[in-house]
Amino acid sequence: MISPKLRLLTLLILVLLLVACGGNNTSSTNNTGAATNDNAAAANPTTPPQPAADIALRWRTRPDNQEEANVYATVSATLDQQLEGISLTYEPGGSETASYQDVLKTEIANGTAPDVFWIPGTDVADFATRGLILNLASLAGATSGFSVDAFYPGPMFHLTYNPDSMASGGASGALWGLPRDVSTFALYLNLDLIAEAGAPDPRELAANGQWDWQAFLEVAQAVHALGPDIYGYGANAWWGPYGTWMNAAGGGFFNEDRTACNLDSAESLAGLAFEQALYQEYNVAVPYGEDSEPPFRAGKVAMFQNGRWATPGTRTVTFDWDVVELPKGPAGNAGNWLFWGAYVVNGSLTGERAEAAWKLVQALTTAETQATVAALGANIPSRVSQEAFDAFLTYTPPANNQAFLNGLADSPATEGPLWAGSWPEYAPVMDAAVQALMTGSSTLEQFAATVCNDANRAAFSR
Amino acid sequence: MTTEQSPARWLQVVIGWHLLAAAAALFAAILLLTGGGPAGSMALWARLLAAFLLLGWGMGSGAAAFYIYHRIHRGRTLSLFTNYLAFVFFFLAACQIMGVFLGIDTLANNIGRGLPFLLLAFIGYLIGTAADRYEGYYARQQQITRISQGIMVAGGLIAALAAGLLPGLINLLRQLGNPTALGLVIGMGICLLMLWLMGREKAAAALHAQTHHEAMINGYLFLSPNLLGFLIFFAGPLLLSLYVSFTDWDAFGTRNWVGVQNYQRIFDLNIATLSSPTQRADEVLDVTLYGELARFTIAGRSIIVGARDRLFWIALRNTVVFSLLAVPLSVTIALVLSNLLNSKLPGIKFFRAIYFLPSIAAVVGISLVWQWLYNSTVGFINYGILTVITFLNNVLGTEMADPAIRWLSESRTALLAIIIMAVWQTVGFNTVLFLAGLQNIPGDLYEAATVDGAGKWAQFVNVTIPMLAPTTFFVITTTLIKSLQVFEEIFILTNPVGGPDNSTLTLVVYLYQNGFQFFKQGYASAIAWVLFIVIFGATLWQFRRQQQSVSGVYDV
Amino acid sequence: MKSYRLTQTLQNAAVYLVLTGFAALMLFPFIFMIATSLKEPADTFRYPPRLLPRAPVFVEMAGYEQDLPLYYVTVDGDEEQYALVESGIRVGRYAPADNLAMELVRPLTDVTPTEEMALVNGEEKPLFLVEQDGQLVPMVLVGQTALGRFVNPEDPTQETLANVRLSQPVERLTAHPDNYRRVVELNNMGRALTNTALVTILVVIGQITTSVVGGYAFARLKFPGRDSIFLFYLGTIMIPFVMLIIPLYQIMVLVGWVDRLASLIIPWIFTAYGTFLMRQFFITVPKEVEEAALIDGASRWQILLRIFIPASVPALATQATFTFLYAWNSFFWPLVIINTGNERNHVLTLALNVLRGRASDAPNLILAGAAISIIPPLIVFILGQRFFVESATSSAVKG
Repeated sequence: MISPKLRLLTLLILVLLLVACGGNNTSSTNNTGAATNDNAAAANPTTPPQPAADIALRWRTRPDNQEEANVYATVSATLDQQLEGISLTYEPGGSETASYQDVLKTEIANGTAPDVFWIPGTDVADFATRGLILNLASLAGATSGFSVDAFYPGPMFHLTYNPDSMASGGASGALWGLPRDVSTFALYLNLDLIAEAGAPDPRELAANGQWDWQAFLEVAQAVHALGPDIYGYGANAWWGPYGTWMNAAGGGFFNEDRTACNLDSAESLAGLAFEQALYQEYNVAVPYGEDSEPPFRAGKVAMFQNGRWATPGTRTVTFDWDVVELPKGPAGNAGNWLFWGAYVVNGSLTGERAEAAWKLVQALTTAETQATVAALGANIPSRVSQEAFDAFLTYTPPANNQAFLNGLADSPATEGPLWAGSWPEYAPVMDAAVQALMTGSSTLEQFAATVCNDANRAAFSR
Repeated sequence: MTTEQSPARWLQVVIGWHLLAAAAALFAAILLLTGGGPAGSMALWARLLAAFLLLGWGMGSGAAAFYIYHRIHRGRTLSLFTNYLAFVFFFLAACQIMGVFLGIDTLANNIGRGLPFLLLAFIGYLIGTAADRYEGYYARQQQITRISQGIMVAGGLIAALAAGLLPGLINLLRQLGNPTALGLVIGMGICLLMLWLMGREKAAAALHAQTHHEAMINGYLFLSPNLLGFLIFFAGPLLLSLYVSFTDWDAFGTRNWVGVQNYQRIFDLNIATLSSPTQRADEVLDVTLYGELARFTIAGRSIIVGARDRLFWIALRNTVVFSLLAVPLSVTIALVLSNLLNSKLPGIKFFRAIYFLPSIAAVVGISLVWQWLYNSTVGFINYGILTVITFLNNVLGTEMADPAIRWLSESRTALLAIIIMAVWQTVGFNTVLFLAGLQNIPGDLYEAATVDGAGKWAQFVNVTIPMLAPTTFFVITTTLIKSLQVFEEIFILTNPVGGPDNSTLTLVVYLYQNGFQFFKQGYASAIAWVLFIVIFGATLWQFRRQQQSVSGVYDV
Repeated sequence: MKSYRLTQTLQNAAVYLVLTGFAALMLFPFIFMIATSLKEPADTFRYPPRLLPRAPVFVEMAGYEQDLPLYYVTVDGDEEQYALVESGIRVGRYAPADNLAMELVRPLTDVTPTEEMALVNGEEKPLFLVEQDGQLVPMVLVGQTALGRFVNPEDPTQETLANVRLSQPVERLTAHPDNYRRVVELNNMGRALTNTALVTILVVIGQITTSVVGGYAFARLKFPGRDSIFLFYLGTIMIPFVMLIIPLYQIMVLVGWVDRLASLIIPWIFTAYGTFLMRQFFITVPKEVEEAALIDGASRWQILLRIFIPASVPALATQATFTFLYAWNSFFWPLVIINTGNERNHVLTLALNVLRGRASDAPNLILAGAAISIIPPLIVFILGQRFFVESATSSAVKG
């Protein structure tokens, strides 16, 4: 009795497979990416391609949330109208946890990567030395009115670095991309907790020039005294936060010419020692490695160190909040980072496609585009201009937006690629060693004795 | 169909085809080997492989012609083989060129529109099941069955039409305009014709076929889909992976043969003697090459072990620790639960279903849930522990402190957290497997044991455990193989992946990092082979143990 | 006899207790998932955590533009529901210099500073005039904190100061099924669901087909090399799949299936494990039936379809279960082979992976996504419960 049913089933499968044959030609060339509307595209398998004159480009960023993805989709639609002869498709990439860069490289390896994409500043060297992104210097040289000086010098130093001549700047013969935006760290404050603890307001301390490590520690301790599950300080476990403590003590990840590890220098160790004390000695911080965002948003953390990108999410909290700059360290500044990421061009592009991609990179970094993106509140425009600053100050809350700009002005260390070695291999070694230190499974002496050997071996041995 | 008139003629056609095909294959192989014509653009290894396959096939085809000419049955077998292989090749190539495989994407796109109509087909099926009610009323039953089948076919057809059957067919036909596709389809036709010619009773008779010939041909035919797919998607990649593991390939550039360098690097250890247990590693080891892996003191001598690839050894250790904890935990709990479930109490089926639930859910989804449960500051697990401790403190008047375990952020507990989740996930499935084993144990064994005066525990030890041995072997082996390959839980739960402090870095995670983050595909392949050796060894060990325990049963 | 029955009852009760305990452990994560997926974001970040979704209760009060949240506060020893009017009021803790234990809490603005100082623990501290029982008493400032002002909604003249953080808000149960709609829109989950279902169905059908015919060949047909091929099959069962990822990836690049659903289906329809299972089942089918059919002139196909397949429905169901779970839940291979950017070809596990990054600040959405990926197999499982559990079992015995 099973065979008629089986026959029907077979028929069904065959029919489905026949259906499968249909319309493959639509999806083979362009993934009409933008996520949502796909029924229309495939309904008529014989859709003629775009008018021949248009060069179709795909571009990608790493949005942290849906609002951001929507803003970029809007930007893409606007630029699609503006740019003559170029048609654009925006595709949101995965977030950091979805291994954005790994996926991108895998796609490049098999030729399915987008034409223009955003990468974090740290990864520029890895992409460039593998030949995965295009050197735009000659295209830029042929563009009238283009100047690398319109952007922050920090990112541009790295973006114009020529690994052959080891030179940087407008005439180095290298241009790997243009910065999309910049950002710095600030401390997100739970003002209710600080007031309840009776601690001085960090914003006032900062205004009076008293906002240093000692003052920071006192506020954190006062808040932690409210209860064992109330934390004075919270930060997430990646190189950004621990880097600031090292920078503020005069240390850093690499030596001066970025060719070797510097994590075991006296200054770097001093910064780490203070941070370690926050976790191990004073116990004022959210346990290292735990995501600090949930407890901060649950109202259990007084000072949460994070970048501008945390602002949109923080706007939904129920308590009174604001931001303040990082406290000044022994080296005289707060050791903040200048975070940045750049739009780069797929290394396989040539001829007019490369030119079109370069046009797109420029269009994505104009003041107008950057203002649209910055209005979201997640980042700061990468062009140096007073107008951009003034506009930025209006994107409240937080009321104290100036804290981010102070961070920019306070000689921050620029996030940077590692031309002499491999950043993707350096970072995990460093992360693991610092984590061991902060969670108390290794001591400062053990850290100092091994970290640079391990890191140098992993990243500079090629 | 003129060939049917005289047996000699159709045999001549077959012989002619085989000779022609052999010549063509030979010519193509020579072209490939010399690199002439369109073959010049192919990679060397691909040319060699293709030439080798073509030569083999051509020789088979030529031999088929020879044997058929001499009326030897081997000719029929060879003819069927070569034509079948050619047919499969033509079919796959045609599907590939005409975009059938890629069309699955379009199918996924369109199928949504057909789904509501598939419901109609389902209704038809339901009506069909109603026919069973009219047992004995044959005419009525026939009628209903026919109606139900009609509805099912109609529903399926409408669904297919809605999902784009017609555009699909049109597109497929249009593809035939492509000369390559047309050629492939014609080739398919010829091979089919030949298969039919040689497969007939007539051909079997003409070539003196015997029963074992028939079994052999059918055997290969039945196995062929599986075997071919296996060779292409399993044996092929396996060999390729072995090759890649001897190169320094990075996924972008060229591959250079580096010999056993990757394996050397993995296993490169350096053991040195320390003058004191706390001496710095860089005083005795070349720290530009070796990282400190472990140090210990034996008989008053302090020894330090350095490894070229320290992380590999850490990953190996974590993998072994994970398996050594997760497997016994999961298996023991499952064994206990299955014994509890193995009764006729009402509601047992309900429990059985509940225990099975975690095994069904996607590891990715489950991990996301546990990530929030494990959150050390606002998560439920720590809150639960705190509640229990507060309760105990109140009742007993003690002053136990809240442990506030940092499940996923401390190197001491992170692996444990993963283990707990993995055990939770696998225990239900194993319980059900054990339950099956238990239900197969004959009841009289227990009766005999009761007569002998054995208590429950003695029965468990002397009857249940030995009789369950085959099931236990199956359960332990599958759980072990799975846990040696643990990846997804760690990928989702830990940030950075494998953290904190590499405490959840397992071999597969490390392989992923090397292959797809550092893009050292050659090295990653070498790690994969080492993992295979580990798994093979573990399985073999299990197998030995099972054989021993089985012989133990027979001794009793 | 009676005592025997009593023991039996007690034993059963103990068994039920243990079983229920484990069942609770098994179920809790699922309940948590469903409950959280119905919450608002603010409700997910709270301490102590609450299982069921709740929303704060607001009350409308004359003279205030916005509705005010209600809290439980203790007034004169009674617990009452008061509305929070103002938070972050700076207050001082004051005490007489000679009796620091007698603390009073007053807003900083309600006390009058004086010029006088008092000696406390060897430290000079300024004195403030603090109102106590209608009198102004000089006291020192012991510490500062912030409180909220709560007002009785029925009688706005009654008010009290209390710590907002430690006060329990008045809440009601709520649910936000809207989260599911948002997730589907946010991440194209609908498409991912279709893709996963399609991939799973095709892989299940494919695996069953190839392993049935392959298993039959191994079990019942004699051909040269059969046993060595079978041994090879057996050996490959223990080869870790990760070994194949890198080379298989290369093959997919070669045939152009990278980023296509075909790569999730075609390589996975050939299974040594399934073939092995089917073979084990087929060898238990009596030979006589087959031989009789052969003599009647039935072909091998007919024998397979008419005799073997109907006889092995439990084994088929087992195989289908394994394959279903495997295909539905596979993550590593799709992660490698399907691009993150190409959401049209995402399967559920991939969509979840993207979602957890993109909605990292909204666990309610992430868990709604997880629920979407988990619930369909649950439904399939509940519908075919007997089939699944009982068939999964038959495999172990043979295996």
